[in-house]
Amino acid sequence: MRLAYWMYEGTAHHGVGRIANSMRNVHAVFHAPQGDDYVNAIFAMLDRTPNFPAMTTSVVSGTDLARGTIRLPDTLKQVEERVRPDLIVVVASCSTILLQENLEIAAKHAGLQCEVMVYDANPYRMQEIVAAESLFTDLVKRFAQPQPRTPHPTVNILGPASLGFHARHDLISLRRMLKTLGIEVNVVAPWGATIDDLRRLPAAWLTIAPYRELGLRAATYLEEQFGVPALLDAPIGVQPTLRWIDRLREMLAQAGANVPMPPLTAFSLDGMSAPSAVPWLARTADMDSFSGKPAFVFGDATHVVGITRFLSDEMGMPIAGAGTYVKHQADWVREQLAGYVDDLLVTDEFQTVAARIAELRPELVCGTQMERHTSRRYDLNCMVISPPTHIENHLLAYRPFLGFDGADVIADEVYTTCTLGMEKHLIDLFGDAGLDLPEQAKTAAPPEPAPVAVAAESPKPVNEPAVATVAAPAAVAAPAAPAPVAAPAPSPAPAAPVDPVWAADAEAMLKKVPFFVRGRVRGNVEKYARQHGHAVITAQVLLAAKEELGA
Amino acid sequence: MHKASTIREDGLYHSFCGLVSVGWLYQKIKDSFFLILGTHTCAHLLQNTLGVMIFARPRFAVSLLEEADLSSSQPDISAQIEEIKREHHPSVIFLLSSCTPEVMKVEFEGLAASVSTPEVPVLFVPASGLDYTFSQSEDSVLQALIPFCPPAPPEDKRVVFLGSVNDAIADDFSLEAARLGIPVAGFLPASHFHELPPIGPGTIIAPLQPYLHKTATQLRNERGCTVLSSLFPFGPDGTRRFWEDLAAQFGMKVDLSDREAAAWERIKRHTDLLRGKKIFFASDTLMELPLARFLKACGAEVVECSTPYINRRFHAAELAALDGVRLVEQANFHRQLRTIAETKPDLIISNIITTNPLVGQGVVAKWGTEYCFLPIHGWAGVNALVTSFTRALERHSKLDPLGSDPIWLTGMMPSSPGGVISLQS
Repeated sequence: MRLAYWMYEGTAHHGVGRIANSMRNVHAVFHAPQGDDYVNAIFAMLDRTPNFPAMTTSVVSGTDLARGTIRLPDTLKQVEERVRPDLIVVVASCSTILLQENLEIAAKHAGLQCEVMVYDANPYRMQEIVAAESLFTDLVKRFAQPQPRTPHPTVNILGPASLGFHARHDLISLRRMLKTLGIEVNVVAPWGATIDDLRRLPAAWLTIAPYRELGLRAATYLEEQFGVPALLDAPIGVQPTLRWIDRLREMLAQAGANVPMPPLTAFSLDGMSAPSAVPWLARTADMDSFSGKPAFVFGDATHVVGITRFLSDEMGMPIAGAGTYVKHQADWVREQLAGYVDDLLVTDEFQTVAARIAELRPELVCGTQMERHTSRRYDLNCMVISPPTHIENHLLAYRPFLGFDGADVIADEVYTTCTLGMEKHLIDLFGDAGLDLPEQAKTAAPPEPAPVAVAAESPKPVNEPAVATVAAPAAVAAPAAPAPVAAPAPSPAPAAPVDPVWAADAEAMLKKVPFFVRGRVRGNVEKYARQHGHAVITAQVLLAAKEELGA
Repeated sequence: MHKASTIREDGLYHSFCGLVSVGWLYQKIKDSFFLILGTHTCAHLLQNTLGVMIFARPRFAVSLLEEADLSSSQPDISAQIEEIKREHHPSVIFLLSSCTPEVMKVEFEGLAASVSTPEVPVLFVPASGLDYTFSQSEDSVLQALIPFCPPAPPEDKRVVFLGSVNDAIADDFSLEAARLGIPVAGFLPASHFHELPPIGPGTIIAPLQPYLHKTATQLRNERGCTVLSSLFPFGPDGTRRFWEDLAAQFGMKVDLSDREAAAWERIKRHTDLLRGKKIFFASDTLMELPLARFLKACGAEVVECSTPYINRRFHAAELAALDGVRLVEQANFHRQLRTIAETKPDLIISNIITTNPLVGQGVVAKWGTEYCFLPIHGWAGVNALVTSFTRALERHSKLDPLGSDPIWLTGMMPSSPGGVISLQS
């Protein structure tokens, strides 16, 4: 037993819900207490579909416990009557599974016309990712039929799913590239697929399964069972996308289809530019300062590998560390990131990740919504690159992570999340004098709706517009400023054994550092003090730290 | 007492787990910690339902039962209790049950007692999703606090307001009581564990929230206090009745008819809009009865008021005021959809799970869940209460007419479960 605050993965029944809600005419029925119905809310709120999520809880109440599965047949009948699904997937939850009931018999008892599949997901052995992946693989195994290939070269896209991270956007990006190459899509699954679509999967010439978390095993099965080759790479970044296109064409050529390569401009949104502006951006002088900004990356396997390599290879940023919570993919992640990361962090405990971030104090954190909160606490720049997400990560506009379009989106996100280079120089140079100016820019353009009032730490704002204009070039680029978390004394790293105290003279000096980097400077100096055994941070210690760290 | 007729269905409706009450209780009781003995499911529930409030250091957590822990009937939580004390320094720890340990038949009273100390009591709170819905477990938390309310002598005749409300509302009620000359002993819960009000035979318990009948009953039985039976203080009608009935408990005859009339007058623009509108309650917060009664008083037609549970004694005054309204306990969601299709309500108060999909079916719906967090109590809450209903109606009527072409309402997901009853004609 352990104390858990936040979870990276959802539960097994949530994973089952993700598959059912992705597909057409498939419905999940949870044999579970009413309390387990909350997963519906996640779909209704984050996917924001105008339909009811495709899942129903067959309520087991305290008084039902002795009577077992008594209500399940009736729930199944009601679901069939209202939804008329092709398939109902029945699954128990963490509490009802302990009752060891025979759900098969209860389901048969309902006498339904549609197919019913009792999915044996032990919530103590599998969580969201494995449950979703296993169910989807089982469905493909159950329904995929041997059949001739489509007359023209077509591909399957496996992996996009309800509540997938930017899944709709990635799907658009993949479709755009395939269209440019003149390749048709046979089936997308599970998203939007029917049972009939699953039957048609073996008709494709190739299967694309970009995510390590979902679709990988089904794609592998289609390859082994039906000889449909599987392209399992994730095209994250410009170079990986180019390689992905080459590989796609090669594999199709081996399957007997000649796919000519169009000019690269054909992949761009306007049809006449570079497919991505990242290679040019990376070469601009703007980006020089990024070469010194270390990043820490944490999330699912697919995105951690893709983003870490992207930051390093295409943005030229040093990697302070990386990690994943998808333990069963840890070996793959480690292998993929050999040469990028020495000690991969593999954990599903958010406190451990928070402690690593506090210790590293990177310039950029790429993580999940948990790391976003950790970063706020330590006043660090953070962008979300992996589930679990917050409603803020479910935006309307086209924001893919895959393909050329995705490279631009990720680069923009990095650029606007980090403190900009010129701004940093101005702070370094005029830090003492420029104390009040950035706050003006802040009030003019608040970077994000942060929960804590900026006012708490702002010294009296000066209302002199003329001054604000002087600060313009860098400071006005407010979105680059870190989230205005105004913790008056950010808590130090939990790992720290002794917390150094600040002497009045050092505290006074610290106050002269612009507030939006003050937290980081404070943290760096405290780290320096701990490393050098200073219990009290005096002005001298602060100066020494500044000298050594350049903070 | 008037006997309202209610319909009881099979309870196949969407709702949240009772553990969700933690979301507001940990903020209300500022020196508390809420520990749930549960599974990954409980942690995932809290993370997602309280996601809007995720902070790096929440004062609630799950003592996580993993597979190896299932075989032991009495889990050892002492290490986690120590960790909580070390990290959070709470004055009180609430130990909440959940479905899995209930199925395992964990003996919670003993478990809580084994880790409880006089300095930091650990209090057992029954809250599992097997037996409790949404707001209900606040009732269990307050019950657990009863032994810590100091006894009051019989001559101590003061009011204790029952139910967690924010500090601003609490101030309003204290001031209003002072204005009427009603002596106040305090609030249950108070903002801090050691500020619990004294309760004795002279105490009048005035419930502010409609989901606390267990606590009210236990206080009546154990402390011999009087539980005010009135309307809950929502809306001009409810607030007037509440204060007049409360004053009567102190032997005062108070006439607040002018106050009520002025309050109605202030919200006339909104009640004009609500008059004759068909309203359907399909939410799950247990606040449905007083809200429906207020809307009825506004002149709206409540075509159905579904609520998880009705307590005939605790809700007696509300039930009497709702005479003639179709009241459903433990509603069946599929049946509700059919009734909605037939009655075509102008506004549905639903829960957070079904609201957007109901809108997707072409009706105006709003989150009932909001009422657990909105400052809608008393005279000061009247405006927030009425506008919460009219805002959705007015906003939808102002939107451009693009919604008439279904393409604009298809959302962003290609999947579309077949056979959903269309609520549009």
